[in-house]
Amino acid sequence: MKKIILKITVLALILLGVTACDSKLDQIPFDQFGNENAYVSAADFENAVRGAYAGFTSGSMYGGSDQGGMIDAGDVLADNVTIAQDGRGTRSTLHNWRYVAADGPLSNTYQRTYIIANRANLILENIVSFEGDNKENIIAEAKAIRALAHLNSAIFFAKIPTQSGDANGSLGIAYVTEADANALPARETVGVVYDKIVADLTDALAGINETNPPGRLNKQGVATLLSRVYLYMGKYDLAVNAANMVTTKPAARNNVVGVWKDANQDGLLFYIPNEVGTLGIGVGVAYSQGSLNNLTPEYVVDYDFYTKFSDEDIRKEAYTAPGQKGSNKYNAIVKWFGRDSSFDGLVDLKVLRAAEAYLNKAEAYYRLGNETAARNALDEVRSRRYTTFAGGETGQALLDAIMLERRLEFAFEGHRFIDLKRWGLGVQRDGFGDLRDGTGVPSDVQSLSVGNKLQLPIDQTIIDVNPNIQQNPGY
Amino acid sequence: MRTKFSGILTLILALVVQLTFAQQKTITGTVTDDTGLPLPGANVIVKGTSSGTQSDFDGNYTISANVGQTLVFSYVGFVAKEIKVGAQNNIDVTLQPDAAALEEVVVTGYSTRNQTVQTSAVVSISASELSQMAPTTSIDNMLQGKAAGVQVTAANGKPGQGAFVRIRGTGSLTAGGSSPLYIVDGAPIREVDLATIPNEDIENISILKDAATTAQYGSRGSNGVVIITTKSGVRNKDASIRYSSRYGVTSQVHRNYQLMDAEQKMQFEAEMYALGVSTAATLPGVTTLPGSPERQFLLDHQTDWEKLILKEGILQNNSVSFSGGAEKIDYYFSVSNDRNTGIIDKIDGFERLGSRLNLNLDAKKWLKLGVNVGYSRSTSDEPRDRFNDQNPFFAALSAAPYDTEFVLDEFGNPVLDENGDPIYDTSGASDYPIREALDDEPQLNIYNTTLASINTQVLLNKNWTYEFQTAVNWLARRTEYYVKPGSYLAGVAAGIEGGLKRDFQDHRLDLTISNRLNYNLSSGDHNLNVLGLYEYNMNEFNRILAESTQFPSPLLSTQTNGALKREARSNRSRLTLVSYGLFADYNFKERYYVSGSVRRDGSSSFGADVQWGNFYSGSVAWNVANEPFFDVDFINDLKFRGSYGSVGNRSGLRNYEAQGTVTFDSYPGGSSTIPDQIANPDLSWETTTTTNIGVEFNAFNKRLRLVSDYFIRKTTDLLFPVRTAYETGAGTITKNIGDIENKGLEVSLQGEVIRTSDFSWTLGGNVLFLDHKIVSLPEGKPIDVDNTSIRWEEGRKINEHFLIRYAGVDPETGRGQFYGGDGNIYFADELPQDQENRVFQGKSTIADLEGGFFSNITYKGFGLRTDFVFKTGNWINNIVRARSNFDGSDIGFNQTVDAYNYWQQPGDTDVAPSPKYAVQDRDFYYSSDRWLEKGDYIRLRNVTLSYTFPKKYLEKTPLTSLRIYAQGQNVLTFTKFWGDPEVGISSGESISFAETVAPGETTLYSYPNTQSYQMGIDVSF
Repeated sequence: MKKIILKITVLALILLGVTACDSKLDQIPFDQFGNENAYVSAADFENAVRGAYAGFTSGSMYGGSDQGGMIDAGDVLADNVTIAQDGRGTRSTLHNWRYVAADGPLSNTYQRTYIIANRANLILENIVSFEGDNKENIIAEAKAIRALAHLNSAIFFAKIPTQSGDANGSLGIAYVTEADANALPARETVGVVYDKIVADLTDALAGINETNPPGRLNKQGVATLLSRVYLYMGKYDLAVNAANMVTTKPAARNNVVGVWKDANQDGLLFYIPNEVGTLGIGVGVAYSQGSLNNLTPEYVVDYDFYTKFSDEDIRKEAYTAPGQKGSNKYNAIVKWFGRDSSFDGLVDLKVLRAAEAYLNKAEAYYRLGNETAARNALDEVRSRRYTTFAGGETGQALLDAIMLERRLEFAFEGHRFIDLKRWGLGVQRDGFGDLRDGTGVPSDVQSLSVGNKLQLPIDQTIIDVNPNIQQNPGY
Repeated sequence: MRTKFSGILTLILALVVQLTFAQQKTITGTVTDDTGLPLPGANVIVKGTSSGTQSDFDGNYTISANVGQTLVFSYVGFVAKEIKVGAQNNIDVTLQPDAAALEEVVVTGYSTRNQTVQTSAVVSISASELSQMAPTTSIDNMLQGKAAGVQVTAANGKPGQGAFVRIRGTGSLTAGGSSPLYIVDGAPIREVDLATIPNEDIENISILKDAATTAQYGSRGSNGVVIITTKSGVRNKDASIRYSSRYGVTSQVHRNYQLMDAEQKMQFEAEMYALGVSTAATLPGVTTLPGSPERQFLLDHQTDWEKLILKEGILQNNSVSFSGGAEKIDYYFSVSNDRNTGIIDKIDGFERLGSRLNLNLDAKKWLKLGVNVGYSRSTSDEPRDRFNDQNPFFAALSAAPYDTEFVLDEFGNPVLDENGDPIYDTSGASDYPIREALDDEPQLNIYNTTLASINTQVLLNKNWTYEFQTAVNWLARRTEYYVKPGSYLAGVAAGIEGGLKRDFQDHRLDLTISNRLNYNLSSGDHNLNVLGLYEYNMNEFNRILAESTQFPSPLLSTQTNGALKREARSNRSRLTLVSYGLFADYNFKERYYVSGSVRRDGSSSFGADVQWGNFYSGSVAWNVANEPFFDVDFINDLKFRGSYGSVGNRSGLRNYEAQGTVTFDSYPGGSSTIPDQIANPDLSWETTTTTNIGVEFNAFNKRLRLVSDYFIRKTTDLLFPVRTAYETGAGTITKNIGDIENKGLEVSLQGEVIRTSDFSWTLGGNVLFLDHKIVSLPEGKPIDVDNTSIRWEEGRKINEHFLIRYAGVDPETGRGQFYGGDGNIYFADELPQDQENRVFQGKSTIADLEGGFFSNITYKGFGLRTDFVFKTGNWINNIVRARSNFDGSDIGFNQTVDAYNYWQQPGDTDVAPSPKYAVQDRDFYYSSDRWLEKGDYIRLRNVTLSYTFPKKYLEKTPLTSLRIYAQGQNVLTFTKFWGDPEVGISSGESISFAETVAPGETTLYSYPNTQSYQMGIDVSF
């Protein structure tokens, strides 16, 4: 009997130590936050809007990527660069226009558009019940973010309104304004998409702060964006009006080199500071890796284009430099090369610059027939780039000058292909090789005529998931 | 001093007195077995004292004892016998075999059963069988071909790397979700961590296959359970000391294709250039002329990259163990060291140091205590496993043979840098200085693993037992990756000019606290066992990561020395499981068997609405041979059994996956909110219901054994990350949608063909015939598996390749052709864009027939064992072959001599496409079935020739046994596959072990499998 009691005591003691386990089933994550807690306070919305901006730091947007993004795809697809044989052949299908739907190009950019839009939409939906100081500014930022995200896909995957007569009625992209994981959005027409972009940007312009912290949009940034969209839409008077809201001047000539080394921020309207520990993104990988003496270039400055940079032009020094790999000498692209003397590609992400507002204005005025105003706007840029320049062009020569200046100014920032496309042009390369003197191996394919290939195919996997997404013609 | 002396004197006197009074006498005798054969080495102990002896080779013994004392005769596998010393001076003893001990004991989950009384499909592999395999490192590799229904695919040949084990097919479509549950002494362990267990410590591996036993593991058992039990000592036996040592060499499994040498490569380049492959323009085959001094210089200094990068590796194993026991205690102690340098020059492979103490003791008549503790430390040098020339194996096959390791001067001597070190040549197409990287970019993994289980058993009365167990598996892993300052990578990669160091420290703790109440009733013909279970399992993962750049010296690599801290991070997650179980089994006269189980699991990973799940099983069996009417004498057992049950699988479920969450990242100005998971409160386990019918047949004193099972496994509620439309930007939601089915027949046959006292020959083998299909998928839509050519589609096999069909070369133009989805033949750029051109061809990555067979011959002391494994019916997309025969693409990389066989003139057939079309067509070759190959093979996994010294030679030595052997592994392979057909991981940095959904889908230069030759010795004394 005594023994039984002893045994039961032992049993009881052990059991005592291990009871009440069921409550341990309620585990909450240590590394994450429940959704219900994420959009409550003013600080939550600040975090959330930064999260939406953070979407733009992806390589497929402004972060620089060897798979194509906003700072390179528009150059790789066009005539500003030549593929380097010492490179790894990245984006060669894009460069040679060999893309097919099965392996859709820039599909990361497409996906990123909607990731960013979703973050913006979550803010816009959750902020309804929030009443705080900065509400209006947050809403404005979220709408501007949403507009920019959509624009970045629309220009590649759909026609641009001025591109051709049928553009506005052709397939645009889905413009998503609701955070609904179960939705199956369809493509809208180009006209509708651009109207929605304008609507968001107009709201944003009304509500956004004159200044916001670095890494965030402000009034002038949104105005520049709006002038771009109106220009793309062929609404030149509105483009001029929007551009006129930009009072910041293009970077002064002696600041231009420093802008791209992050020594100053002259003329920058929206840029994302890129510091190790916060972001630390190697943006320059889009064009090359390694030092100038041991360069692994993916793309180098197209030789013909290189000759268009006059020695008077400060951009020649700011954007290009002699580089080499072994005995192969190149005209390297150094716009995103690194700060000071480093070559790590770690530089701020420059998204919007004042120079664009002036060049948008120049082009819009020209289209409106006001050549003087056009020339004045153009000279605002040229006077800050060249030591001396002739100027005074009229007629076609003026338009050519505006187009050339745009090509030079935004070289290696991804504008070129979009500009050619919206002007209704194809791409014609010059047949030069990849080396510094134009010898070496030229790019495989030298020209792209106006046609379906100007609109990239939408990756098949995207369509597989959402049958409402119609493929572009020709794929 | 004086007192001590008198004390000793008193003691001696007492002994003398005792001697005088106790009538000590010498007893002699012989110990024999039931057939009359002498039993050498039998223990003879005077009960209650420490005095004892062992019988000699002829079974004779001599011992001193007093009249009235009791002698205990014991021998492993026989029932001990006690005889009281009386007047006789000679005691001959015949020991009867212990029926229970000779029966194979199988671990069936929370209990052990004799093979004959269990009703489930269980395979048990014993220590002796394992040691015959002389495993090179990890235990899971050894399971291949050993058990019917178990498919094993070596992950790759990296030392210490494990294998993908699939029991009865692929039971889940989530990454890592198809692996069985592994339990070591009660503690779960991950498949990838199995190499941390020293093989020498393993007593038994039991593989539970059907629901009758796996259901006892509830929400974790549906892919089968592998139960690993470590060794323990034998009671009443003096310590046995065992020492084993092994040494050998290892090298890459023989390659069945030939790379170009420098001359061939340059000629090839010239041919390519002539055909218009412009990228060849700058290559030496074009820039130098045959016969020129420049060409000769290249030929004179050509490099065999494979020889340079690889080496012959060393295998080494040493272990010592002590085991034995007294009346109330048994113990097993071991230390072991394993080393496998791997086959990459300049880095070490895998090394493991293990130590273990297992102790069981009867503290009181009603209280038993046990403790099993093992510690191991493993280190592993990790080469980059990626699909480019930072991977040594990619470089070995791809670097051009005329390229040199170092930059050479005009005399062919290396050019030196300012420190007098040769400068690496980085000018080639494969320009990464891989040998430099092996020195200057080391990655080291260090695992410290503690496996401990503490056990208490209270015998409440003769029927009731209560058991309490705490089982812990604590894995501490440290990973160090260092890009040294001054290294090539530091020079070219962005932002790490001053070097980069990344340190991970992971702690993985798995704690199980288990309470079991057992009721056992054996009354006459009825045997009943009921087990009640209440268990709590907690799994916690902690990680700290730190990363710095700007190091002052390559010799200093701790984070303290990094001037610029780039990243510091910690992560934690926890998973809990609370379980109740009731398991019962009953048999009547070992003729009729019934068993059943119910388990209720609550898991923290399940959605709020479905936190608890119930899992059950039932089984019956009938042993006809034990019926009175059955009078076929040569049949020992003829058992029919059937089982049915429902088991869960939660391994594909991430810890908090059912909850809607956001994460935070950094952005200028502060935190940034990143929407992450979308909530799904209905998210739960995958369920597999298994129906099993089996027969076990033993005949001729169990010399012939046949086990065969037919099973149907239906898995429902499959976990899928369901892709939301990309346009929602929301990512994926994990849902329980979808069903798959695996059906199969397992046959295992073993027979002792010859058994005489001197000569025996055993033959055996097993095979699995597997049939599998995907029954339903979310919304019935097909799913393309990321980074693979696999598509899942309803009605199709699991893991079927989905590719465009290659239609061969157009004999007229020499251009490659493809079948469109409409069945017509097209050139690549003409393939119809408005339809799907990829097709299914019933070619899955999963073998539909797999198994192994062996032969074991012993003659006197000699033994010859051969083990074969085979696999057929699986298809591999052979990208390494594609790149080695690249039709003129990436022409700077080396090719095989087969690349010469390209189309040259109209009418050529059975050739590769003309390189003229290389650039524009090459991407289509990746997405076509041109390089899809059958992965069939038969491999001589193991051949061992051994000699065990007869006892009579050892009599004069302190040794009780001595065995020497020579062994070869992966010595022979029969396959039509190009390259090595044993493919698991394609490229570890593309898809890691843990993320692999379809092992053996493609080849991408992962660590090749190795063959080895070893010599070894096992000594006991």
